[in-house]
Amino acid sequence: MSQVAIDKTIDARGTYCPGPLMELIKTLKTAPLQSVIEVWSSDSGSATDIPVWVKKSGHEFVYSIEENGYWRIAIRKAR
Amino acid sequence: MEQTPKLAVVLLSSDLEKLHAGALMGSVAAMSGMTVYVFVSMDALEQFRKDVIADKRFKTGTVGPMLIEKEVPLYYDLIHQGIELGNLHLYACALAMDVMGWKKDELIDDVEEVIGVNQFFGLAEGAQIMTI
Repeated sequence: MSQVAIDKTIDARGTYCPGPLMELIKTLKTAPLQSVIEVWSSDSGSATDIPVWVKKSGHEFVYSIEENGYWRIAIRKAR
Repeated sequence: MEQTPKLAVVLLSSDLEKLHAGALMGSVAAMSGMTVYVFVSMDALEQFRKDVIADKRFKTGTVGPMLIEKEVPLYYDLIHQGIELGNLHLYACALAMDVMGWKKDELIDDVEEVIGVNQFFGLAEGAQIMTI
């Protein structure tokens, strides 16, 4: 996974669903095309919900990695 | 011509949990590109009064007290985010307003308009309608 360059990291740990997704959507609005955004979420609902949203919204899901007590979820802005 | 998918959320209950669930789904839908109309009527309307929110006069069951304790952004915050970052519109029911003798400026500023059921049907035409 180390070959994926992260353009921006959002630390949304401590917020509940849909907090991490809301933060991601806010960031995606202004991010340049093809940039990779990594969201940190301690909320397990968001860990399953964000990938579904990303696929449905036409962006590219890069990975979701479970760390100790939180997830790192990476998305590439595709449109 | 492709139309934006539409969602109409009808909030009727004063229960914090129900308001929160409806606001959450509405705001996520709005931020995901849907056009969302939130129509607030009956007991739900009182919970959109400025004084009720300022005094935190929420009606809670099991989950609600934890939403408050953990300082989760509540229904009015979620709706505000949906308006700011998506295409969400908040309406108050004219009947409930008239019966209670309330004025629009007693409701939170995010309420766009006080409308009747026919206006709501006009807006909600072709939309998925969710009643909570």
